[in-house]
Amino acid sequence: MADKSKIGVKLPTYLLEVERVKSRELMAAIGDDNPIYLNKSKAEAEGYPDTPCPPTYITMAFQEFTGAYLEIFKMLDVPLERVLHGEEEYEYIGEIFPGDVLHCQMTCESIVEKKTRSGSLDLITLQTIFTNQKDQTVLKARSLIIERL
Amino acid sequence: MAPYVNFSEMEVGDMLPSVEKDPVTKTQLVRYAGASGDFNPLHTDDAVAQNAGLKGVIAQGPLIMGFVGQAISCWVPKRYLKRFQVRFKGMTFPGDVISVSATLAEKTAERENLRILCHTEAKDQKGEIKLTGQFEVLCPVDKS
Repeated sequence: MADKSKIGVKLPTYLLEVERVKSRELMAAIGDDNPIYLNKSKAEAEGYPDTPCPPTYITMAFQEFTGAYLEIFKMLDVPLERVLHGEEEYEYIGEIFPGDVLHCQMTCESIVEKKTRSGSLDLITLQTIFTNQKDQTVLKARSLIIERL
Repeated sequence: MAPYVNFSEMEVGDMLPSVEKDPVTKTQLVRYAGASGDFNPLHTDDAVAQNAGLKGVIAQGPLIMGFVGQAISCWVPKRYLKRFQVRFKGMTFPGDVISVSATLAEKTAERENLRILCHTEAKDQKGEIKLTGQFEVLCPVDKS
């Protein structure tokens, strides 16, 4: 059961360097060949200074490359094997480009216990705010993590 | 690439042109693990997945979200996309053919702009829903 006294807890801010090759790798894995995200001259023709990151680029900011999920689950006493990913939300405030350095601030926003027919769950909402090297907040992410109790 | 959707000419309830993906492959799940950093072996190792009671590896939920992101990027210029949310509903297995559809749910004028809310879902070849979601767009009114 998630430690409800930890609602509001924040991970130390961590950095994510945005890399062009990771955008290409993600696009290849998805099977998406949209040139706006892959070809700088095509992006410039649509008025972007460079290729913007695709809508789900930021997914990689939470997994093993940064360890953010693992670290916050440890802080909340949530065992990994009981965790399911319920929802994911991105709010786009500005664009993210290759070469950007994002400061990532993850907060445990809420933990709500829910009883269902198949047992009890903790619904854990994690919010992460991404601020670039120019101090502009470019994205807010919210992950709803389900812990089966 | 097909032109973007013109929301100025659409009404609430209208469908956006759906996007059908090639069948999901095991290689794709390995590539997505590397791309995203989600190295849970449930997605890449059949033996681990079978030990967990599954018939074999399952796709990462965020890969299917990525399919929806691809579809949204066909419909809307990235700079007009303001919010994108999904709820993961079902497991996707290699061989599944995912199609992404969306419906215009709300349309409101906001000064020179339109604020658009679309509902979206990803289904497999049997019609089983893998995720549902919504996205918000803020785009200029097309005066042409």
